[in-house]
Amino acid sequence: MFGKVLIANRGEIAVRVIRSCRELGLRTVAVHSEIDADALHTRLADEAICIGPADPSRSYLHIPAIIAAAEITGADAVHPGYGFLSENPEFAETCAQCGLLFIGPLPEQMRLWGDKVSARALAKSLGLPIIEGTELIEDIEDAVRKAESLGFPVLLKASGGGGGRGMHVLQSKEALRAVFETARAESRAAFGNDSLYFEKFLERPRHIEFQILGDMQGNIRVLGERECSIQRRHQKILEEAPSVALTDEMRDDVSATIERAMREVGYLSAGTLEFLLDERGQLTFLEMNPRIQVEHPVTELVMGIDLIAEQIRIADGQPLELPPQPLAPRGHAIECRINAEDPDTFAPSPGMITELHMAGGTGVRVDSGIFGGGRVPAYYDPLVAKLIVHARTRAQAIAKMRRALRETIIGGIRTNIPLHQRILEHPAFEEGRISTGFLDDLQARRMLTAPVRHE
Amino acid sequence: MKLDLDQLRALIRLLDEANLTEIEVSHDDDRIRVCRQPSPLPGATATELAAPATPGSVPASTASGTEDDDRAYVTSPFVGTFYRSPSPNGDPFVDVGDPIVPGQVLCIVEAMKLMNEIEAEVDGTIVEILVENGKPVEYGDRLFRVEIS
Repeated sequence: MFGKVLIANRGEIAVRVIRSCRELGLRTVAVHSEIDADALHTRLADEAICIGPADPSRSYLHIPAIIAAAEITGADAVHPGYGFLSENPEFAETCAQCGLLFIGPLPEQMRLWGDKVSARALAKSLGLPIIEGTELIEDIEDAVRKAESLGFPVLLKASGGGGGRGMHVLQSKEALRAVFETARAESRAAFGNDSLYFEKFLERPRHIEFQILGDMQGNIRVLGERECSIQRRHQKILEEAPSVALTDEMRDDVSATIERAMREVGYLSAGTLEFLLDERGQLTFLEMNPRIQVEHPVTELVMGIDLIAEQIRIADGQPLELPPQPLAPRGHAIECRINAEDPDTFAPSPGMITELHMAGGTGVRVDSGIFGGGRVPAYYDPLVAKLIVHARTRAQAIAKMRRALRETIIGGIRTNIPLHQRILEHPAFEEGRISTGFLDDLQARRMLTAPVRHE
Repeated sequence: MKLDLDQLRALIRLLDEANLTEIEVSHDDDRIRVCRQPSPLPGATATELAAPATPGSVPASTASGTEDDDRAYVTSPFVGTFYRSPSPNGDPFVDVGDPIVPGQVLCIVEAMKLMNEIEAEVDGTIVEILVENGKPVEYGDRLFRVEIS
């Protein structure tokens, strides 16, 4: 196997990758911006290289600096984590050209799934159920025609979008006329591409996604689903595995379809297929994410697997050693994303961490990028740590997470821990009656009933 | 002393009005220090030599000089490998004691097979060379100490 892995990322995911590398006997190189000189990933790696200033476009997104860091440290492989350059096909190609092994999917797969409209067409041709939608919109008149034939409400989406960005829910023709040009300009600015299309808008869907792994020998394994319906503005906050909404039969059916589809495209490494589940129990394909995802630990816990280690073994050319289908989840896992933000206003809360105590005990896992006395810079994602629990049943996992949240002390910055506590105390959540609208409903009710706070 | 935003604003105003660079106020065990950055000294610029061979180019950037009495450091604007001469057997661009002028090439930092010339931004004299030829340097690493004339 290769001997030294450069981790082209920061925060908890960089720490997560360092851990698996170390367990596999691989040496690690952290890259960091100036402001991250004392960050946890910088401290934990065997070597650390400063690649630029705090601005990510000049450090974590700056391909030549990362390649040069690999050159001067003699790293022979690169793990991109999630975000930053993880789904950038040029980065994967540049690594290959410079003799570096890219630990992740092939660049052509990133291109294939990166454009929403072509991804929908591909998914359809592979036999995956897709949500009703349209071709690309030509102009505003064409938009009105297409929206009316699909039927309001509709979702106006950017073809180049992803990760919940670049979407507008529209209830009427008038609303469409009002936002169309703005949406087009936004898409051009955010994704460098102003192609828009419509999808049927589902009122209260669940977000269900399936984890897959593919190796160089052409084996594909579907590792069950995660339910990620607890979202705020399309950003996931709390995830669990398995989903209470799927029957064994549905799970096996979809898994078999996904396995066939991914074998057909020759998918390599870890990936996630996202679906919406409507109130009638219909699963429809949303998008494919060719990377490791933030919420991968819930799958790891119920499947008893280390997904990062598998990615590394796959990149080394080793075949998957997992038993053939179906793989059944064991117990129940929940993950809470701990963000440095105000739990009510969601305003970012960077700063110095004055005290830190992360929960422990049986069945509790912490994937964190912070330490006491460390600093949460304002330049990056607000995710500072993930609290993950594993128990025999969902009810036990909820009890364990409540306990773990109570034990966790993060001083000096605000975090969304109180928000997680509200979610976990909610009867509808306990009963598993959740949808992507859950958090908005919860917040709306809270706004009406919450006392005015003076600070 | 509880930190009060209005007090802080007042301190900042005072700093400005009196044209000070630093104010420190202490009361019991609490301490507030308000200071402003001295205007940065010029350091060096890097010039890109060749067209990038790979997607994603190495941009020219300005390395910051760091104040240290009347001396300044030329820092590396890139991660890469430090070379003191234009070719393996060539003479070094500069040596200790050499005078330098703005625009003069001081060294090369190689990143992704691109030879990036690092130019001086100030008039002065090389006092110390802080990195050995052929050694890796990180972004912001000090390369030369310069006495500014």
